[in-house]
Amino acid sequence: MEMPILSLLLLLPLIGAVLTLLMGGERQKYAKIVAGVFSAITLVVALFVMFSNDFGSFDESCAWIETSFITINYSLHVDGLSILMVFLTALLTLLVVVFSSEEKDRPKYFHALVMAMEVGLMGVYLAADYFLFYVMWEITLIPMYFMISWYGGPRRHYAAIKFLIYTHVASLVMLIGIFAMGFMTMEMTGVMDFSFAAINTLMPQTSEMFQIAVFALLFFGFMVKMPSFPFHTWLPDAHTEAPTGGSVLLAGVMLKMGSYGIIRVCLECFPEGAEYWQWVIIAIGLISIVYGAYACIAQTDLKKMVAFSSISHMGMVMLGIGCLSDIGITFAIFQMFAHGLITAVLFMVCGMTGHIVGTREIPLLGGLAGKLPIYATFMMIGFMASLGLPGLVGFWGEFPLVYGFYEFAVSNDMLWLILFCLLSLMLTAGYYLWAMQRTLFGPETTKIDLSHVHDVSKPEFVALAVLVVLIALFGVWPDAALQFIDPYVDGLILGVF
Amino acid sequence: MFIEYTWLVPLIPMLCFLIIGLVGRKTPEKGGYIAIAGALLSFIIAALIAYEYLTGDAYPNPVTEQIAWFQIGDITLNLGYYVDGLTCMMMLFSSFISTLIFVYSIGYMGDQGPRKTRYYAEVSLFLTGMLGLIVSSNFLEMFIFWEVMGLCSYLLIGFWSFRHPEGDAASANAASAAKKAFLVTRLGDVCLMAGLFVLLGEFHSLHSLDYVTLFDPSSIAAADPEMLSLGMLLVFGGVIGKSAQFPLHDWLPDAMAGPTTVSSLIHAATMVKAGVYLTARAYPLFIQNADVMLFVGIIGGVTAFIAATMALNNMNIKKVLAYSTISQLGYMILALGAGGYLVALGMDMGGAEGSALVAAGVAGYTAGCFHMMNHAFFKALLFMCSGSVIHAVGTEDMREMGGLHKHMKITSITMLLGSLSIAGFPLFSGFWSKDLVLEIAMEAGSDGTVWFTVLWILAVITAFMTAFYMFRMWFMTFMGEEGHASQHCHGESPKTMTVPLMILSVFAVLSGFFIMFGLDAMVSFNVTDTAFIVGGGHSEGFYYFEELFTNPYTYLTIVLALLGIGIAYLMYVKKTVDPGRFNRNGESWLYKALSKRWWFPDMYNQISWKFGYGIAKGVNYVDRQVIDGTVNGLSGAVVGGGDAVSKMQTGHVQDYSSVILLGVAILSVAMVAIAMFFGGM
Repeated sequence: MEMPILSLLLLLPLIGAVLTLLMGGERQKYAKIVAGVFSAITLVVALFVMFSNDFGSFDESCAWIETSFITINYSLHVDGLSILMVFLTALLTLLVVVFSSEEKDRPKYFHALVMAMEVGLMGVYLAADYFLFYVMWEITLIPMYFMISWYGGPRRHYAAIKFLIYTHVASLVMLIGIFAMGFMTMEMTGVMDFSFAAINTLMPQTSEMFQIAVFALLFFGFMVKMPSFPFHTWLPDAHTEAPTGGSVLLAGVMLKMGSYGIIRVCLECFPEGAEYWQWVIIAIGLISIVYGAYACIAQTDLKKMVAFSSISHMGMVMLGIGCLSDIGITFAIFQMFAHGLITAVLFMVCGMTGHIVGTREIPLLGGLAGKLPIYATFMMIGFMASLGLPGLVGFWGEFPLVYGFYEFAVSNDMLWLILFCLLSLMLTAGYYLWAMQRTLFGPETTKIDLSHVHDVSKPEFVALAVLVVLIALFGVWPDAALQFIDPYVDGLILGVF
Repeated sequence: MFIEYTWLVPLIPMLCFLIIGLVGRKTPEKGGYIAIAGALLSFIIAALIAYEYLTGDAYPNPVTEQIAWFQIGDITLNLGYYVDGLTCMMMLFSSFISTLIFVYSIGYMGDQGPRKTRYYAEVSLFLTGMLGLIVSSNFLEMFIFWEVMGLCSYLLIGFWSFRHPEGDAASANAASAAKKAFLVTRLGDVCLMAGLFVLLGEFHSLHSLDYVTLFDPSSIAAADPEMLSLGMLLVFGGVIGKSAQFPLHDWLPDAMAGPTTVSSLIHAATMVKAGVYLTARAYPLFIQNADVMLFVGIIGGVTAFIAATMALNNMNIKKVLAYSTISQLGYMILALGAGGYLVALGMDMGGAEGSALVAAGVAGYTAGCFHMMNHAFFKALLFMCSGSVIHAVGTEDMREMGGLHKHMKITSITMLLGSLSIAGFPLFSGFWSKDLVLEIAMEAGSDGTVWFTVLWILAVITAFMTAFYMFRMWFMTFMGEEGHASQHCHGESPKTMTVPLMILSVFAVLSGFFIMFGLDAMVSFNVTDTAFIVGGGHSEGFYYFEELFTNPYTYLTIVLALLGIGIAYLMYVKKTVDPGRFNRNGESWLYKALSKRWWFPDMYNQISWKFGYGIAKGVNYVDRQVIDGTVNGLSGAVVGGGDAVSKMQTGHVQDYSSVILLGVAILSVAMVAIAMFFGGM
């Protein structure tokens, strides 16, 4: 019989979340084990899907609401675009559970929230129906809200509510776009069909005006999530206050929902809209890159700096998408994946700074490498990967992508635009190296008490080591990820542009 | 049969890096022996490859092989190796000198305890970077190793960035030097990256960045010459950063904060040589435009001169050597630029006259590469000698040294040989290559543009200054009265340090003669209609001997070198000439400019502070106040608006009825107005 494999990817974390919640009282200390086991099984299933050769065979679909004028299906689908995100979600969830295994404060809720996040994220990446997609999109907000407001820092309530309202308003705009697409299908076929299959084939045939308008609605919803200038300010606050595990999931996979949506929905449905808005996308990308990088330099909180660097790097993704070319989109997807791996390391390390040293304020730190060599090594690897050192995965998200943009700039006689990219590459190296100099090197700080600090604990080491190995692996063998992306982008370019 | 295994040359140090990194702590000497064995093995393989290649049938055509790595769009990126005469020479001297430096490290880093593991792992990776860069078969592969080297130099310059034996100030200094080295070279690297974009774009139809495809004259002819020139200028930007050329040279003196062995590695065998190597490697693309080569030559000549001036009054033994490295790198770049200028002119001109220019110009290539090799030998020697001195007296300030000759004879004599070599004393290795560099610069001046004559004059003055400051250094260190650090001298360094010194001094003296026994063939550049080939054109017998000694200007530089040594002798040993007379005891503006390094560090600081932190502050303010302020303001308005509206719910019936009355009044007026308007009354 057919196993509903993709449904398993949703069900397993859901069961895990419920079981974790049941681990009350005495059994509270087993919560992490339950969560760990379920997320590990999920990862195994995700890997199974990844290494099977035929993604199409996993498609699932069954009617959810079906009347004569509206069709809503529970349908799941996986392809070259989503599989890397599914893998990243499963991997980071497991690593967050491992990393946070020493969480003392109500561990059962923490791990249940992590597992609930996984349900929502998997749902977004696997959904093949806009209704399901939207429901899952909203579901991800709730665990993240509680994660920030229960486990966060001193200004957690402000950050959590800002995160919730800001991104919720954006998704409402997106919802209008989804309804517009639904009504359009009704006009064209007589049935309001929300499935990807119907909408993504019908929408490219709509009028240019419609494409331009609906593209804008959806794009706004997605770009707030990414987040891009000027709708990014919820991110630094959310990250500063969120617990480490929450930040890892937030930056590692949740931000990618935005860029995933842009490619999956905006590009697949509205090629003419994309061409109309192309310069806007490019401009937003370029501004985000440079703006984010400059903002990083001025930050004094390590974690806030990394949060701004996410804005800069996601701007890179936006830029790649804006090229609307094979290279641009391919490496935008690669950059999403690369950034997911790297930023997880960065947030783990920076979050750790807070709990082992007691502060993340860079001016108070200094000379930590002497006392905490393993911590320092991981931080250095993370920073180097993020600034695009060749041989690590970040370089392949950056170099070809900027080349794709170079081709675009040359063909439009706007070669000087490339200067923004080059400037940001320089600035990125600048803020990371400066941060390392002030945090890790030089004389040991006397402003805080370092007598009780301890280096990376075992579970933390395991989580970081896994990520570092993957960063190096995909760095020397980028084809491991590109083999999934290439066929998808080829299909997209052939079918749409 | 060995050439197929060229990939082993960088791979072996890579494996050493991994082994030392993982289990080095448990091995004797904390991984030191593994690093030495790896470097030595690489050298042996490199020697076998060179022998097989140079005596084989393929010579002088390059032997290259590659496997597909992955694709960027329709461009296939390959991994592979590329062996020609230049590769052979570079592989040999890099791995050979590195082996000696690693042996020397056993003695020099002996007291570093567990941190030695880190040291040996990083130097192995450093060697991987250099050897990988040398054998790479395409630009992107080269760029990867190029950056790996940048990382290693960062780590090694910052080796003492925490827990420096001399305390906190020194470790803060090391941390900032490492950052500066990485960022300044990164600026060059970003240029290089942009250059690669241009090359990728221009050679897009070839679907690759392989040297063997790009260097084909037919593919060069297909590219847009203007874009190609732009691309090569950008690539040269990378060279300026990596090889510490003006105006990005200032990271190199600061990089002295690292252990002396690291300086020796950076200056002789790896890192700064990479830029010169890249210029030589990409020569077929560089020589397409004479103006590009003129730019290259000007940068080289100015660098040689400026760096030499800064060495004149420096008191730090390592910094003097650092400036001399920059200056000598300038010579190499000058030679490549001057020669390339003539070749480019000749290729444009065509005909017999053109071929004559090309034939004259290719000597610049040989001179540049030859000087690179000689410099590697004597600079490694000089740095290791200075390391030996520092090891013995525990300071880098030459004023505290003096009279060390009787305490450490081997170091003193080997350093003297190295100094004679770099000063261009006749028949020492530096003499041959430096005078070939000067000769090509002059030739480019007389046959090409007057700019090169100016550069030649600068280069000749530089030769004089070099002789002076090198011997100022040697005399201050080993001659004269004992400074107070000399009195605590530990005596001669251990065998692991002195034996490499002696081996290297043999090369520093004699490596100049290599050029008469086939080296000129290995690194000759041949232009034909169908190909640009490195290797082949060997000049018989004592051609270079005749060439140099029949040129009157050679005697000029010999006299100037001797004059420089003589003045240094009078000033610092005889003390008959007081240096204070020239610099008004340190009060003259020139002296101040030199000790301020021509204000380059200040300029770097100002630029990074204004364009980096200054703008960043502004951006952060805008972000928090304007953008986030708007967001908070909007939400405040919504909440506040809700509050205001809720105040209207007073609960008094009178209030509500009066509002209703008002509403009814407004409505009836409106209705009458509408009726009048539409009714047309």
